[in-house]
Amino acid sequence: MRRHFPWITLVCGLLLVGLTDVRFLSPANLLGLATDVAPLLIMAIGITLVIYIGSIDLSSQSIANMTTVLTTIALPAFGVVSGVLVVAAGFLCGAISGMVTTRFKVPSFISTLAVGGIALSIGQYASGQQALHMDTVQRQQAFGWLLGKTAGIPHELMAAIIVALLAWFIQSHTIAGRIFKAIGTGEPVAVASGIHVERYKILAFALSGMFAAMAGVMFSVRLSGGSPTLAEGFLLPAIVAVLVGGTPLTGGVGGVASTVIGTMIVAVVRASMIYFNIPATGQQIFFGIVLIVAIASTIDRSKMLTVK
Amino acid sequence: MSTLLTADMIRKWAPVLVLIGLVLLFTTINPHFFSLRNFARITISSTPALMVAVGVTFVILMGSIDLSMEGTIAVCAVLFALILNIFGGSISGIGWLAIPGALLAGAFLGAVNGIVHVQLKIPSFMASLSLGFIGIGLSLLITGGNRILIDDPVFRSLLTFRIMGFPLMVYAALLCLMVAWFIQDDTVIGRNFYAVGGGEDLARASGLNVGRLRIIGFTLAGIFYALGAIFAVARLGIAETETGRNFMFTSITSVVVGGTALRGGSGGVWSTLVGVLIVNVIGNGMVVTGLPDYFQDGVLGILVIFAVYLSTDRRSLSFIK
Repeated sequence: MRRHFPWITLVCGLLLVGLTDVRFLSPANLLGLATDVAPLLIMAIGITLVIYIGSIDLSSQSIANMTTVLTTIALPAFGVVSGVLVVAAGFLCGAISGMVTTRFKVPSFISTLAVGGIALSIGQYASGQQALHMDTVQRQQAFGWLLGKTAGIPHELMAAIIVALLAWFIQSHTIAGRIFKAIGTGEPVAVASGIHVERYKILAFALSGMFAAMAGVMFSVRLSGGSPTLAEGFLLPAIVAVLVGGTPLTGGVGGVASTVIGTMIVAVVRASMIYFNIPATGQQIFFGIVLIVAIASTIDRSKMLTVK
Repeated sequence: MSTLLTADMIRKWAPVLVLIGLVLLFTTINPHFFSLRNFARITISSTPALMVAVGVTFVILMGSIDLSMEGTIAVCAVLFALILNIFGGSISGIGWLAIPGALLAGAFLGAVNGIVHVQLKIPSFMASLSLGFIGIGLSLLITGGNRILIDDPVFRSLLTFRIMGFPLMVYAALLCLMVAWFIQDDTVIGRNFYAVGGGEDLARASGLNVGRLRIIGFTLAGIFYALGAIFAVARLGIAETETGRNFMFTSITSVVVGGTALRGGSGGVWSTLVGVLIVNVIGNGMVVTGLPDYFQDGVLGILVIFAVYLSTDRRSLSFIK
């Protein structure tokens, strides 16, 4: 029953808003809704991998912020390669978080907070603390493929779906994915089975950093620029999307597919708030409460001897 | 035995040595750093930070963590300013009610935080992170995103009235630190914080109501965040949602750098004072020596990683989440 709860919530949400305004359920509107949350989805997928192994990543928003700045700066010199470079930078940031967590034994919420601080500094330094803008022609040449539509489906949405499929493939059809599940289900057992747990934990953090950077690239192309605060406000909905989707804080179950549903729930809730005239500040309070409820109802207490 | 003792001594006094080293370093780079005026500047920026860091010290001593301070400070600052302005705008009139009002709000938010963490059995970092977001939302809801100005000269004398070069708020903060020291060392609650942080199973087996103690700890932390909020408003004369900004990362860094271990059970409010001074000396020193202040987040990030690294006994830990 619990497994089916997220998509039932999604359908109920859609119907609820659909009852007040049928136009909400039109394919064009739903497509727009999904496209809107494409960067959020990519970031949430990255965080999913880390929560899946029972850790947490609080650096995603800062990495995405840094990425919007670096992409905008690198665009004139490197063109489309700038995207590849910054995604590699995101991977590196994540790997550092992972190494600090596993080798230095620093709890992940602190290590990722610290790496987030470093990423924020890099973003502020590189941007000179101001908003930067992309040259329209250069943006079109390098990232024009992200902006158009094919058969009515925006390319941004397609890109997000491809990224989600890639993450889903990693999670369910590779050795690394199976080991992520093993770590999330029972880390001591994984260690006892002779798995290099540390290596795979670092990989999970690195992938999360990489996905956060991808989200940053997409966001900066969409807004045609970058600033060290551009992705502000992404962290809360991204974590909410993961937990509401059904990946518990203790890890091991759920995964990428759950997060896709979780992100759609976030999108529907956001849209419904506009329909019901609830101010944006109400959203933050609402999502905060939803987060607490989602954690409390999904967390696996048998894995926690004491709750600190 | 004697080598063990010295190793312990070094670990205990290392933060103080780091602080002295930093002061010497910045003084050699720029002699203007070592002046009464600059020290006053450092202590002014340290005052709100000290209150917040002392609050979270109690929580970290129990082995938990609190990430809600930005939201709690925002709510307390905004409520303080609102109550003050409603009751005549002066702290010398019935406007003084704003002080207990803000402290009550802090205690309430802290208690909610503790209850959510204990009763719903949610790890404290996530419970408090969620409540921090809710707090920021609440303060935005109250202010509508606007600033509230405070121009009460009596209240602002916390900043403007100086004794021996240091403003009144510095002495007030020291008084609060003494209270925190008393709570930590001379009350049952304070001693129990150490008991829970040192070994929760043992504390529980000794008949201690750990859940209730945690709620008290978070409530106490909330009261100190409210004090921090009042000092922050006194310093800038403005209350807004942004008042709480940056306090989360800097206060936790201060506590950890001061020598209070994240696993709980060791350290205390005096360590936190040293940690707050280290963080603020670095911040001030970077400005005095001409480095842009936005490097501070990165430097603090590296600092906190090394502080946790040095304070962790890695043999006793098997798994880190």
